[in-house]
Amino acid sequence: MSEISAASPLRGAAPSPETTPPIIRLKGLKKTFWRGKEAVHVLDGLNLDVPEGSFEALMGPSGSGKTTLLNLCAGLDQPTEGTVEVAGQTISGLSETLLARWRASTIGFVFQSFHLLPVLTAEQNVELPLILAGLSRAERKRRAVIALRAVGLEDRARHLPRQLSGGQEQRVAIARAIVNDPKLIIADEPTGDLDRQSADDVLTLLVRLNRDFGKTVMMVTHDPAAAERAGIIRRLDKGSLL
Amino acid sequence: MSIPGLAARNLLRNKLRSFLTVSGVTVGVLAFVLLRTVIWAWTAQSEDTAVDRIVTRHKVTFVMELPMSHFDEIRSMKEVRCATYQNWFGGKDPSHDQEFFATIACDEKTLFDVYDDMETPPDQKKAFLEDKQGALVGEKLMQRLGWKLGQTVVLQSQIYPGDWEFHIVGVYKALRKAVDPAQVFFHWDMLNERRPARIKDHIGWIVSRVAPGASAARTSLAIDEHFDALDVQTLSQDEHAFQQSFLAMFSAVLTALDTVSLVILGIMMLILGNTLAMGVRERTGEYAVLRAIGFLPRHMVALVVAEAAALGFVGGAVGLAVAFPLINLGMGRYIEENFGGMFPFFRVTPSAAIVAMALSIALAVVASVPPALAAYRLRVVDALRRVA
Amino acid sequence: MIPIAYNLGSLGVRRRTTATAVLGIALVVFVLAGALMLTAGIRRTLGSTGRADGALVIRKGSDAELSSNIDQASVGLILEGPEVRRSEKGAALGSGEVVVVTALEKIGTKGGVSNVNVRGVADNVWLVRPEAHIVDGVPAKAGTDEAVIGARIRGRFKGVELGQSLELRKGRPARIVGVFEAGGSSFESEIWADVDTVRTAFGREGLVSSTTVQLLSMGSFDAFKARIEHDKNLGLEAMRESIYYEKQSENLAKFIGVLGWLISAFFSIGAMIGAMITMYASVSSREREIGTLRALGFSRRSVLASFMLEACLVSLLGGAVGCAASLALGVVRFSMINFATWSEIVFVFEPTARILVIAMVSAVAMGVLGGFLPAVRAARLRPVEAMRGE
Repeated sequence: MSEISAASPLRGAAPSPETTPPIIRLKGLKKTFWRGKEAVHVLDGLNLDVPEGSFEALMGPSGSGKTTLLNLCAGLDQPTEGTVEVAGQTISGLSETLLARWRASTIGFVFQSFHLLPVLTAEQNVELPLILAGLSRAERKRRAVIALRAVGLEDRARHLPRQLSGGQEQRVAIARAIVNDPKLIIADEPTGDLDRQSADDVLTLLVRLNRDFGKTVMMVTHDPAAAERAGIIRRLDKGSLL
Repeated sequence: MSIPGLAARNLLRNKLRSFLTVSGVTVGVLAFVLLRTVIWAWTAQSEDTAVDRIVTRHKVTFVMELPMSHFDEIRSMKEVRCATYQNWFGGKDPSHDQEFFATIACDEKTLFDVYDDMETPPDQKKAFLEDKQGALVGEKLMQRLGWKLGQTVVLQSQIYPGDWEFHIVGVYKALRKAVDPAQVFFHWDMLNERRPARIKDHIGWIVSRVAPGASAARTSLAIDEHFDALDVQTLSQDEHAFQQSFLAMFSAVLTALDTVSLVILGIMMLILGNTLAMGVRERTGEYAVLRAIGFLPRHMVALVVAEAAALGFVGGAVGLAVAFPLINLGMGRYIEENFGGMFPFFRVTPSAAIVAMALSIALAVVASVPPALAAYRLRVVDALRRVA
Repeated sequence: MIPIAYNLGSLGVRRRTTATAVLGIALVVFVLAGALMLTAGIRRTLGSTGRADGALVIRKGSDAELSSNIDQASVGLILEGPEVRRSEKGAALGSGEVVVVTALEKIGTKGGVSNVNVRGVADNVWLVRPEAHIVDGVPAKAGTDEAVIGARIRGRFKGVELGQSLELRKGRPARIVGVFEAGGSSFESEIWADVDTVRTAFGREGLVSSTTVQLLSMGSFDAFKARIEHDKNLGLEAMRESIYYEKQSENLAKFIGVLGWLISAFFSIGAMIGAMITMYASVSSREREIGTLRALGFSRRSVLASFMLEACLVSLLGGAVGCAASLALGVVRFSMINFATWSEIVFVFEPTARILVIAMVSAVAMGVLGGFLPAVRAARLRPVEAMRGE
């Protein structure tokens, strides 16, 4: 049983699918990988609707397909069969180039190993998605500062990643994920590399973004404590939702 | 902050590796410039030739001589504007007996008509014409042997016995590279007088200038045809072909140097390519994140190529910065002074520098192709999985 | 000591980088060995020309046979002394020779014309120069237009092949009837014809360029020299044949030697830089392993030794490949102008055991020098940090 009640502000939102339109629609989703001559069906005809504003946690054992599912929703991969519709647009079947452009404007990514570019400052890392948007230097800087402020790291704007703690790095990554005002935040094990306190800070941040700013969050996690902070927990096993 | 900026910053990440790579490129560029300078120095004389000057010698071997009548006949040909004759003397200065230079018995009356690119002050020219024992010496030779205008020198010959006394009355400056700036000219009559009767009135070779409008190639053929029926045939070549034939004798070495200079560049590319490949492999995760955020494969290529170009540029610049003073100020001076016979000119030409720089950058870009392709082909999903 | 299997395994796993490093070293060794072999070839060719108990007489002041002229009459005087060896019939083993260079058309490469030494020899030349012998065809008959060619220039010029002929002078062709070898000396780049034929063809009536003799013994030289040079009017100079040819090779060998070392130096620096970069990266990527080894108890010194050993393995392999490749140069014929005679000499690349040893040692030296600093870094890694992957 969860320790935090569903309505608590410490937990992400779980809007009702009846009243809220879905931001993600997955229909008949199949994904097959080839190991030599052997076909591995990671996802085998999965259907899912994710309401807008939801905070979803995907859990499941290794090989259950949760990361694959996440990648498909994020436009990082293409399904073998079936459709992926995100924010009203069918992205399955789009070309690499169009998908890239789409990701730049629609998705914010948070990874397990922060993946900040070590040669850039926090501010420059946060700016990266805005370069693709073709914004002017001044405008990029302005928005980056706002994003950093939102995660509470405005005063660390000029620091390099190696000068930040693990938790701070992840928060900068989150700032980068929101700077382009995405519709969907994709988080793959965001607390995997963090200590308890930092993990907690990061989750609180995500919940705030979800509750206060209405961002839909899809998170894959092993960590039960992280899952608890989500609005909805979905479990996957062998490619199917339980 | 942009792709080139990011590329530059990535280079500063592993300063040691970047330093070593740049050093590798520098060494490659330096070696390339040096070898090309050697080749250039070797062939320089054959490039700056008079297009209308022809050398005519005995067909069989340059050791054999032509009768004086050949000179008169060539001079009277309609295609020939003026002509002069010369003999090899093989002189040596006993006090500098390791120094090799050309000593030539010439027809002083016609020398300057044919060699208008031997600049001599008029009063010295006059003195040379008048003094039977006068010698006209090249500027570079005066410096090398420490001779002074007005000095009397005694030379010995490898061919003719005895001591030969000359008065240095003139110094000439060579205006063209094909003209050896370190020769000694003296009166042919002086040589002829002391030659045994058997070989008197024979000349070593004839140098002529073609009449305006005539082609040197055709005139050479015409001369040889003229003497073909006679007992003593000739071989005529325009100055360029004449110089080239000397080079042909060294063709093996020149080819070897050429090849080596290209191989060095190849090695440079290997080192560079290796470094870039390492960088790409190490940064796979970062590339994956950039792609996830929405950067395109071609942006990844641009990153790698920009890194390569930067390394090539810096390496090339440092290499040239070292090459110029090293060769033009240090090595070149030494070689021109001590091996002036073989290499009267030894310096880095601007065109060699430009070629070296351009090649450095171009080859760097070429070397970046395999790692750039790897970065292009990156599968985002796999890369993210691998690192996480 | 860290087992060598660890090094071998690591090299095997990182195949591409190892291959690149091996290739780099192989290339350097190839160039170094090549340059040394060429220099050795030059020294051997010119050094084996001329006998230690042979003497050459030329005009005093001439540096080379080409510019020397001696009266025919003097030849008799030169040969009549007691220091000159005689055949069983009592004839002096020596003769006057006429040396000229002639321009011949080259075959292959870019064509063009090059100078070849033509030597007019007496018919006792095979006795006077016993190191020379016919290997194909027959010797030229005395007093005829027949000629023999040295094995090294065979087929390199127009008309220089058995059965063909070349024009010494218009209307006076020389027919090639034989090919000779002469112990790898510079004579093998010459054309030998009858002395009188050459004399008349080149207008040297009554003259020879030089006189070559076989002395009774090496020790006879001083007496010979004293007798020859005693009469100043003759204006002659005697020198040991071997020394004469060696002097010719000096400049040439020095020139190639300097060029070769210069190029090798550049290549070596390049290879070392390449090796260093590779080794540093290798150390970097194996930090965790190194940390583990140290934690297990292997000392700093053993880590240093292990990485130095790895560098040496790479360079040994590279050296072996380079040496093997350089042996292929043995079939290459390299022609250069002999600065002293302005005629073409054909050299071969001479592989000697000594050169291969030098090449291998250089390879290992490059490995050691290039691998030292990275190995030190590996040894200095602190186990805990290394294992954590800092």
